[in-house]
Amino acid sequence: MKLLNCPMNGTRPLSEFLFGGEFREMPNPDTSSDLEWASYVHYRDNAPGVKKEWWYHSPSGTWFIAERNTLSDEVLATYLYGKAPDATKTTKPRAKKEQSE
Amino acid sequence: MTALIKTTPVAYAQHEQKPAMGVHNGMEVALSFEGAAVEKTHKQVLGVTDVSCFAKFGIKGPKAADWLAKQGLKTPDEINSWVEGAPGTLVLRLGGSEFLVEDQIKGNACNGLSTFNQDKTAGAYQVARADAAFILGGSQALNLLSELCVMDLRDSALASNAVVMTQVAGISATLLRESLAGEQVYRIWCDVSYGPYMWEMLLEIAQELGGGAVGLTARFQ
Repeated sequence: MKLLNCPMNGTRPLSEFLFGGEFREMPNPDTSSDLEWASYVHYRDNAPGVKKEWWYHSPSGTWFIAERNTLSDEVLATYLYGKAPDATKTTKPRAKKEQSE
Repeated sequence: MTALIKTTPVAYAQHEQKPAMGVHNGMEVALSFEGAAVEKTHKQVLGVTDVSCFAKFGIKGPKAADWLAKQGLKTPDEINSWVEGAPGTLVLRLGGSEFLVEDQIKGNACNGLSTFNQDKTAGAYQVARADAAFILGGSQALNLLSELCVMDLRDSALASNAVVMTQVAGISATLLRESLAGEQVYRIWCDVSYGPYMWEMLLEIAQELGGGAVGLTARFQ
């Protein structure tokens, strides 16, 4: 069973979560150029590596950020938006996903 | 003016069991199913009771705890925990700043909370609650939950004041464990539209394990 750590509710099976897409800083729509805005809306960096992603814990309605290595599928840290991750949790996997039988 | 009587959201799923219905707290609910003697046995083994009729009040926001305290209700300090906020009334803290208040069979705090005035209350927002709610009790209750929920809900894993938001039978639900007249029971809340489904799932497994439906009367005798 794959597991993921919700910062509010603790470790839960992946089936309780929904993937919300990659987290990216939005440029200021009033001051950004058309090129910057189009890049934000349409382009994605698909190179594997550590990405920040939105995840949603559906039973509690909690949106949070997960830092995940998309190459190894290892989650390095999960935290609420706007709250910096605990340093110890970024270096040590907090919710390692396990492959089911 | 005639008072509006609601019907429990679970009624559709209970129709075949032909329960004796009665009104509690303005809602028509199943008072008994198979008679006191049978339901007493079900309670001991595995009894499922629909308590959707209990009055509920939801509130959220940074000032929600303060507002509840002003109404004389105790609130849990820790996230995802519950306390008896007033005699016969549960107060659940759902995450950081959201609360569910539910009157039990003899509680009446929710009546007072209905005076909430949004225009005069900054930082707190009422949340409409119409959950389907259940009580699950008996010696086989944990066996039932182990079939429907991946969480470890044994005493050693689930603190007595913990609120767990997880999936039960594949749908989002809120769970807690409490003592009811000396008996340990589990409370389950889910979205009202899933009420009949949840009732059917709980009852099907309860019957497999030797239990069954318990009406409101037998549950609180």
